[in-house]
Amino acid sequence: MTATSPDARRIWSVAKGPTLVALVILASSLIVALLSAPGEGGELDPRSATEQGTRALAKLLERQGVTVEFTETTPSTVDDATLLVTRPDLLAPEHLAALRPADLVLVAPTQWLPPGAQVAGGSDVQDQQPGCAWAARFGEATTGGVEYTGGDSCYGGSVVRLGSVTLLGTGAPMMNKSLADKGNAALAMTVLGRHQKLVWYSPAVADPGQQRSLIALLPDGWKFGLLQLIVAIVLLGLWRARRLGPVVAEPLPVVVRAAETVEGRARLYRRSRARGHAAALLRQASRDRIVAALGLPVDAPPAAVADEITTRSRDEVLALLYGPEPGDDRALVRLADDLDALENEVCS
Amino acid sequence: MALTGRAGLLALLGVVFVGVAMPSWTGILLVLLVVLVCVGIDLALAGRVRSLTFTRSGATQVRLGETVSVSLTVRNPGRRRVRGVLRDAWPPSAGVVSDRFSVDVPAGASRTVSVELQPVRRGDRIASRVTVRSLGPLGVAARQGSHAVPWTVRALPPFHSRKHLPPLLERLRELDGRRASLVRGQGTEFDSLREYVIGDDVRSIDWRATARTTDVMVRTWRPERDRQVVIVLDTARTAAGRVAGELGGLPRLDTAMDAALLLSALAIHAGDRVDLIAYSRQVRASVSRASLPELVSAMAPLDAELVEFDARGMVAEVLRRARQRSLVVLLTGLDPAALEEGLVPMLPALASRHRLLVASVTDPAVTTMARGRGDAAEVYGAAAAERTLAERRHAKALLTRLGVDVVDAVPAELPPSLADRYLALKAQGKL
Repeated sequence: MTATSPDARRIWSVAKGPTLVALVILASSLIVALLSAPGEGGELDPRSATEQGTRALAKLLERQGVTVEFTETTPSTVDDATLLVTRPDLLAPEHLAALRPADLVLVAPTQWLPPGAQVAGGSDVQDQQPGCAWAARFGEATTGGVEYTGGDSCYGGSVVRLGSVTLLGTGAPMMNKSLADKGNAALAMTVLGRHQKLVWYSPAVADPGQQRSLIALLPDGWKFGLLQLIVAIVLLGLWRARRLGPVVAEPLPVVVRAAETVEGRARLYRRSRARGHAAALLRQASRDRIVAALGLPVDAPPAAVADEITTRSRDEVLALLYGPEPGDDRALVRLADDLDALENEVCS
Repeated sequence: MALTGRAGLLALLGVVFVGVAMPSWTGILLVLLVVLVCVGIDLALAGRVRSLTFTRSGATQVRLGETVSVSLTVRNPGRRRVRGVLRDAWPPSAGVVSDRFSVDVPAGASRTVSVELQPVRRGDRIASRVTVRSLGPLGVAARQGSHAVPWTVRALPPFHSRKHLPPLLERLRELDGRRASLVRGQGTEFDSLREYVIGDDVRSIDWRATARTTDVMVRTWRPERDRQVVIVLDTARTAAGRVAGELGGLPRLDTAMDAALLLSALAIHAGDRVDLIAYSRQVRASVSRASLPELVSAMAPLDAELVEFDARGMVAEVLRRARQRSLVVLLTGLDPAALEEGLVPMLPALASRHRLLVASVTDPAVTTMARGRGDAAEVYGAAAAERTLAERRHAKALLTRLGVDVVDAVPAELPPSLADRYLALKAQGKL
């Protein structure tokens, strides 16, 4: 049997490693997902049981008969309800002004404030005495954060009432971790539990639901046709991707141009402006040829060579064959031409 | 398995169906199901690829530049017909024109396809795999599988210089005489005794032999035979250099092989024995008392290695192998540094027992560079080239002083020059 295609056993032996790895990854991610499920939600989220969450307060309110309605999008009907906005700064000021609830509670607003209120400064979140009439019954509470002026100012300006609007400098008294401390629960429940319904509005960064997506506007025929087109493209891709046997590789022999070292050396001479060296090499080569043509010994002294050449003056020949190095590249090029001319005269 | 374009087309038709008739997940699943059923039918009914058997026949060697064909016979022992595409995969340098064939092999029958190869490089070209894609009756999917069907085609050196052989053989015959010479001289050895006939040189009469017989006997002489020629190919670093020439630029190694082949052909005709050693840092290939086909075959898979030539090792190897006085022909580059460090110290040992001939390829590009004039770049090039040429002259002079014959020629000239030098040595009886 000459077949080299893998059979089922070989496929399994190759694939079991990756399969095992994939299974382990899948199982571990499932376990992580299951273990971390209850921790959902962030700060001031009535579904969250973390320290920053407010699930305890929501449960307490519900036990008192208040309906808590959590929303991340703009609530529709708030006429007869308390509206709590946990991150009012994420909403446009005019958007916030347009909401007309029976009671409005804002947590640490700075962008939009009801008429008559102003931001006065800030302080650390800590237990404080109320210092005003309407909050006296709650006693000490965990307050602080942003401070305001105007209206009924309590807890050093960090809880302020202006008519139906209540400003809280911090969400700390509502959080799970501090709800049971001091008068926090009394403060929070009084502020939020005035009406039968509480709308808990945590604006998302980009308030969705304002427009329907493009895909939702497409007719089903187009949508599913497109999906089917993707299936078809995948199948066509599989058709084109399948090769008729593997690519054949082969080692290639080492082949370099033999003159490369010479060219490299020439570039080195040029870059380092080795004019003297280049001129010496050219002169040596010319001398060798001239000496051979004149029939002189290889190590003939300069004077002997110059004497043998009759076409030029002795000094000219000495300057050309044994002279100083040329001053610049143009002089070098001239020297090469002059050497050629001299060789032609001697050898012809 | 493999899908065909039809599977994709079926799914494309499904786009219309899903878009118009059934725009839902059910529609998509339905189309997918239809495609899968078609694929399943095809896979079930396609002829088995695994059970196919293959046999090859045809050429096992080819001279570089020529075309040969290798046949591949497919036998289908299965119960179903195998219809589809066959690919006989070869490496790119095997120069296969077309390696895909459409085949249709009925059950129990066999078919033969023929692959044309025109290798573009010397050496062994090993067949890779035979892959068959067997289509199902619907043409939507195919079974696909590969078989290893070993076969090797050896691309031999082209031996372009064989065109120089006839005139060289003519000169060899002149030298040889084909008739026994009565003149004793350099390069001849005693052949036989025969009776004197009128016209023979009286100086060649062997008086001792005449005294033993009743006739007058003369000695006859013939050129030396049964000399040993050891050809050493340098397959190291410098052999990789591609030298521009009329053949479109070949590595030095290829030119050296050409020269070695011409020399071997001549030497074998002259009755000498030829050994070949290819050496870099170790023996890459070697044949002794070789015939020309053996030499060609030994050279075929050689390639230059990027290592420094180990001249000491080479000399030791030659001394170990050649017991008899031989002509050692070293085909190498005339790299002065390598020569002075490696070869020159070992020369006395070699020269005392053998005659050494160094043959080297000159790069005509360097000679052209040396004549460059006109601008600074050209003149610097000329200076660098002059330096290289001077180094070569120096190396050549050094070797000549040490009693080594040197042949240094451009690629086209090297083989005949080397052969000429061999004939000259033979004529002088210096082998």
